[in-house]
Amino acid sequence: MATREGPDDGRENTGPRPGDHTPWRRPAPGSRGQVPRRPAPPQPARRRYTGPIDNSAEKTQVFAPVGGSAEETQILAPVKAPTATKDRPGPAPLGKGGVAIRTAGEVLITLGLIVLLFMVYELYVTDLFSAGKQSEASDQLDGEWSHDRTLHPELVDGRAFARIHIPTFGVDYNFTIQEGTDDPSLEVGPGHYKGTSLPGEPGNFAVAGHRVGKGAPFNDLDNLSSCDQIVIETSTDFYVYKVLPYDDEVDGWTTGKGADPKCKGVPTLRDPNAESGGAYSETFGRKVVLPSEGTAVNPVPYKPAEVLPKAQQVALLTLTTCHPQFSARQRLIITSVLTQQVPKSQAANYTDLLPKIGEAR
Amino acid sequence: MYAWIWSKLPGPFAAKLTCAVLLALGVIALLMFVVFPWLEPRLWFNEVAVN
Repeated sequence: MATREGPDDGRENTGPRPGDHTPWRRPAPGSRGQVPRRPAPPQPARRRYTGPIDNSAEKTQVFAPVGGSAEETQILAPVKAPTATKDRPGPAPLGKGGVAIRTAGEVLITLGLIVLLFMVYELYVTDLFSAGKQSEASDQLDGEWSHDRTLHPELVDGRAFARIHIPTFGVDYNFTIQEGTDDPSLEVGPGHYKGTSLPGEPGNFAVAGHRVGKGAPFNDLDNLSSCDQIVIETSTDFYVYKVLPYDDEVDGWTTGKGADPKCKGVPTLRDPNAESGGAYSETFGRKVVLPSEGTAVNPVPYKPAEVLPKAQQVALLTLTTCHPQFSARQRLIITSVLTQQVPKSQAANYTDLLPKIGEAR
Repeated sequence: MYAWIWSKLPGPFAAKLTCAVLLALGVIALLMFVVFPWLEPRLWFNEVAVN
């Protein structure tokens, strides 16, 4: 006893706090090694179970001896004491600061998880929601078409009025096109820029679509190449558009890629007599522009509306989506030109149409 | 925080575990169906149109 208490006094200065957790391993066994030797006879049973309660006394006792090599050996040996493992799980009490730090850590981890969850939501869950809306819109459109075959459907915000097929993306690739480019429309599928032309009309039939999440109808738009076909289906007709030449293909188009039978009917839209190429000098199959470039959906892309009278305008189809993927820094613009119109009397459905426009199946 | 919540859950271990799982699922559902749909239009990276 005397030997224990001596060290006690000296040790208290170095701090009871650090002793709070670590001492458990070292001191507890150490003390136990000593305990049985002296006080064991008087109260052997109690010592074993209530040992931990006496901590404070024992901890300090042990700390003192650490300095001496003799005591250290004592400590190691008793580690095997049977109660040593029982003592370990004793909770290490945290101070107020400790609790605050732990809580702050937990809050940060939670926020991180919420951000991850939001990514999952954006990439996958919105797809599920949109798939439901899309199939509903598609059924509704089929229903309307089976009843009523008016040439120019009434456009109602958020309601589907046409369907887009892109054979390059697979035979089953199709989405309904809704009127308007606001969020509710785009959640269903691609949306038609209000005020732009309708399918088949001269001018620019412009359509926006999501590239990530919400069904991502325009996810692969950057995989299109010039002359790839885009089919717009209305209640009465199929309008077949072909992607215009890209900017590195315009020069020498007629002898280059333009000579490919696949590109039949695809002009460069350049006016050889005009110095800069004419009204359509800025029109290419693919362009990456700033989000503020609203002129991309003008009747003559990137030119003021009055540059050409309506009668001289070409029937174009413009698709817009965000670029690069996962970002909204820029916009990807795909412009195509009308090359063919197939009434539904000649091709009852899309499967019948495909062989007629030279696509497989 | 989590330790505190755990200590407030009633019953034996199994009941606590069930409770905790239900709580977590509830929070996830709340986020997915209420919070995220509300938050999303307020973020900028969903714009695909030119204007």
